[in-house]
Amino acid sequence: MTDASGALRRTALHDAHLVLGARMVPFGGFEMPVQYTSILAEHDAVRKRAGLFDLSHMGQFALYGGDVGAWAETLTINRVGNMKIGQARYNVFTNERGGAHDDVIFYRIGDDEWLLVVNASNAGKMWGIVSAARSGDVRLDNLHGERALIAIQGPRSLEMLQPYVDADLTNLKYYACTPTRVREAREPVLIARTGYTGEDGFELFLSNDEAVGVWDLLLAENRKHGLVPCGLGARDVLRLEAGMPLYGHEMDEEITPLQAGLNWAIKFDKPAFIGKAALEAQRDAGDYARITGVTMEGRAPARAGYAVFAGGARVGEIRSGSWGPSVAKNIATALVAPSAAAEGTPLDVEIRGTHHPARTTALPFYRRPKA
Amino acid sequence: MAQPAGLLYSKEHEWVKVDGDVATVGITEYAQASLGDIVYVELPRIGASLEQFASIGVVESVKAVSDIFTPVGGEVIAINDAIDADPALVNREPYGGGWFYQVKLADVTQTGELMSAEQYDRLISEA
Repeated sequence: MTDASGALRRTALHDAHLVLGARMVPFGGFEMPVQYTSILAEHDAVRKRAGLFDLSHMGQFALYGGDVGAWAETLTINRVGNMKIGQARYNVFTNERGGAHDDVIFYRIGDDEWLLVVNASNAGKMWGIVSAARSGDVRLDNLHGERALIAIQGPRSLEMLQPYVDADLTNLKYYACTPTRVREAREPVLIARTGYTGEDGFELFLSNDEAVGVWDLLLAENRKHGLVPCGLGARDVLRLEAGMPLYGHEMDEEITPLQAGLNWAIKFDKPAFIGKAALEAQRDAGDYARITGVTMEGRAPARAGYAVFAGGARVGEIRSGSWGPSVAKNIATALVAPSAAAEGTPLDVEIRGTHHPARTTALPFYRRPKA
Repeated sequence: MAQPAGLLYSKEHEWVKVDGDVATVGITEYAQASLGDIVYVELPRIGASLEQFASIGVVESVKAVSDIFTPVGGEVIAINDAIDADPALVNREPYGGGWFYQVKLADVTQTGELMSAEQYDRLISEA
């Protein structure tokens, strides 16, 4: 999404990225850092220490009203109404065919106040969908681009963030959130223990005016402890290793959350939601193509769109692929027929006309060591 | 940024070192920096016959696949196995240990279509 002139939008941290030597690329209508130094070095920092991300391009919608919970449950696969204040929850907005409009996170801030975070590339579409579906006392406010989002991710993120935050982060559970004071910010900042890297970490929702102060503080104080700014390149490798879906790759308007392996998030016991009948039919038939992990045996990386074969027959296609530094192999996801989805199934991936051996692998490729 | 003198350069950011009728090919410092972390290089086979400026392989970074357009034509007589095991060698030593392949030139006059270090410097400073 760009403005009327087609120009890319900039986040509040744009100048900070340039000073840090970022290579900027268009993403979701914004000019975003893809890397500062090296994708592999930034990936390594997040796995071993921590990385700092600007995610202000993501869509933030404020939702108000006593009806938000019940209303949102009719549009999505997961429960919303039973979330407690201070809870965050992953969810997917579906179409009538069971396909995904977007995968999102709801944050419950108060009795009648919620934050909905959607993918940057879907923010325009999603604003249209929630606006058109609005009912009861639900009120919506589109904060896309008006509020900032900074993430700190990695095993040392808690000790790097805690000194500058009033809330006791040790007691903030995974997928919990709390408003709190952060040094360099006058307004309260919403901090959530969420992320997209497979590591422990936090996301800070704050005003654009205060983003630079908080970003500079965290980086200045923690550089010596190994915190580095990280771009979207490292983020994509981190999420792929962690087996987390990326909209447009592992899920889209045609690939359902059931196919993406998100069975745990689909609450079939809800009375009704858009796409429920289609998802039930797909579940009951059971013969749907599904997302699996794929590990290449050789050095050639699999990339999105490459054909996948098993026993000489075409069984699907690669949806995401990269070198996976944490496993030191080329890793990928593929949408494959159920016959090829069992772990260990020998596969061939066609790369520039040549078949390269691979195997079906259970997701995730990487799980963080237990603390 | 100054390019090593004594090499020839293509507008596709390869370098060529000519020694008699044998040419060694690699990618430039500018190319490796633009690509970022290199994770795979697919080279032609020894014995393959290359046509000048044809796409003859790929170099892949974490994010992207880029074609290699051979700056010289001829028969491939050697490939650098070291970069298969350690593709990052291309990032570390683009003009040294990270070379790609050697060809026996089909026609030594074809190097006339390549650039000097000074000409290549101008090209990338305008990029």
